[in-house]
Amino acid sequence: MMAILYTRLIHWKKQIISLLFWLLLPILATLAIVYGTSLIQQDSKIPVGIVTGDDSEIANALYESIRATQLIRVIDVTEAEARRLVESHELDSAFVIGEGYGQDVENGRRNRLITSYLSNLSFAYAPVSQMIISLVQQDTGHSKAAHTVINLSNHTTEQWTWDEIVAKTIEIQQEEDLLRTTFTFANTVGMENENTVSLWNTWGLWALFSILSTLLLFDWGVKEKRAEILPRFAFIRYTYQHYLLLNVCLYTLLFFIFDLIAVVVFHTFLSESISLSLIGAILAFRMLINMGAFIFTCLFQNVYLYYSTAFLLALITAVISGAIIPIDGVTNRFPWVALFNPVQPFLEMEFISPWHIVCFVIIAIWYVKGGKSNA
Amino acid sequence: MLKVTSLSKAYGKKKVLDHISFSVGPGEIIGLVGENGAGKSTLLNILATLQKPTSGSIHLQEKSYQKEKPSIRKSIGYVPQDIAIWEEFTVEENMIFFEKLAWKKRGIEALRQLCLDMALDKWKEPVKMLSGGMKRKLNLAISLIHDPTLLLLDEPTVGIDLKSRKEIGVYLRKLASSEEKMILYTSHDMDEIIHLCDRIICIGDDPFYKEILIDSGKEILTF
Repeated sequence: MMAILYTRLIHWKKQIISLLFWLLLPILATLAIVYGTSLIQQDSKIPVGIVTGDDSEIANALYESIRATQLIRVIDVTEAEARRLVESHELDSAFVIGEGYGQDVENGRRNRLITSYLSNLSFAYAPVSQMIISLVQQDTGHSKAAHTVINLSNHTTEQWTWDEIVAKTIEIQQEEDLLRTTFTFANTVGMENENTVSLWNTWGLWALFSILSTLLLFDWGVKEKRAEILPRFAFIRYTYQHYLLLNVCLYTLLFFIFDLIAVVVFHTFLSESISLSLIGAILAFRMLINMGAFIFTCLFQNVYLYYSTAFLLALITAVISGAIIPIDGVTNRFPWVALFNPVQPFLEMEFISPWHIVCFVIIAIWYVKGGKSNA
Repeated sequence: MLKVTSLSKAYGKKKVLDHISFSVGPGEIIGLVGENGAGKSTLLNILATLQKPTSGSIHLQEKSYQKEKPSIRKSIGYVPQDIAIWEEFTVEENMIFFEKLAWKKRGIEALRQLCLDMALDKWKEPVKMLSGGMKRKLNLAISLIHDPTLLLLDEPTVGIDLKSRKEIGVYLRKLASSEEKMILYTSHDMDEIIHLCDRIICIGDDPFYKEILIDSGKEILTF
């Protein structure tokens, strides 16, 4: 194996820049796209003014909830500033958490708790106001529940305070969230920042770029398939098939090192979680696409035809994968298309897919058949 | 000793080689001549174990081609007609590349000396910058890395200048005489064949080659 590594290093030395470029492409392109779109998302947030006239705990909690909402950029203003900025359309709308909000909620008051300002150009007023109303309703709901329980507990020996009841209702509410859309790998802890909404599935994007870079870096399988060199393999220690397979192993090792770098980089910069199952899934995916790329190279003699087909194949995989923005239409209409998608088993954390077996069997047949013709 | 007995090869109904028998002793250089399509390359390929004969037997140092092919391959150096080297590598990288994969290990200095022995002194030069003659020398040097006892050369001097041709000839003669190697090679250059070879095997029906060789004073085997 060391001899093969040495000979491969001579090849790699000759193409070090392109080798590094394609090895780093999946990491850098994924980072660039995820970062780029998150910047655009930041710029496209709706500017909403919030006037906080109450310093109670409930009012502060409401303010923080609004701030934490994706797609809204909260600007702290006074009521006069709010009117001026809404009039000049610098704010889409403004909302006033009036003095005594906390007290009103605790007392069970349920109307006219928030005042809003809008203009004729407040296009996002409806969804934003609905969102704020829902947050206020949560507060009033907690309060109503507390009052109800207190009234009921007057007839029992167990005594609950208003704060205890509200804390308990919040706990129950968090446990029973109706909707959670964060993508997670099966059996792993979710992403650390679960409030982040991204258009991109980081690992799906990485997988697509990995397929492209793997296909393009496996061009050695076509370039080195030179008829004049082949007779030499009869007079060296390795058969041609053996030599090629050992090189596939070396490439798999090299790619996997860069895959692990991707895990660390995405964890550091995109807060993606790291787990053994993820690394196992990446290894399985790496073996699958390397075996696939190797089989693919066996079909070609012309390297330019190989490149164009590789790009086409990567594009088709991107379309059918739905890993970028789910395109359910294709797979709903043609469910069998999903069977041809190598990204799907990876995203579903399957270590062995039918494609692993198919690729392995094809390579085994090729090896045995080639070995016989060589002998 | 290489011993070929009643060797035949047919492609379907077409007989290319018909009951060829000869032997080659240590230190001998044998030339293979004949018109295009006479079967020179086929014979060379069979002797190189790259093709199987239809009938007949071959033994190299008492080892049967049929039964001990892997072991026999270690004793064969084959120089293909096409230049089988990595164009993008330097001479040094080519030699190291094939040495790493070879059965026999040699140090870098030994590899360099192998090249220098045949006047290939552009060690660090990329192959694509070399002349045709230099490339041919490198093609030959790579085939000698594992120190074979039988050297088979398929038109090793085709398309190169006279100086390189002479240098290769001198080197082959030195290999045969000082290292007792058995050498078989094909060529269309009759002067080169007559000058270099101890014996000549003439394949094919065309009398042209036999007529040229008749006055050479060399032993001629015709098939």
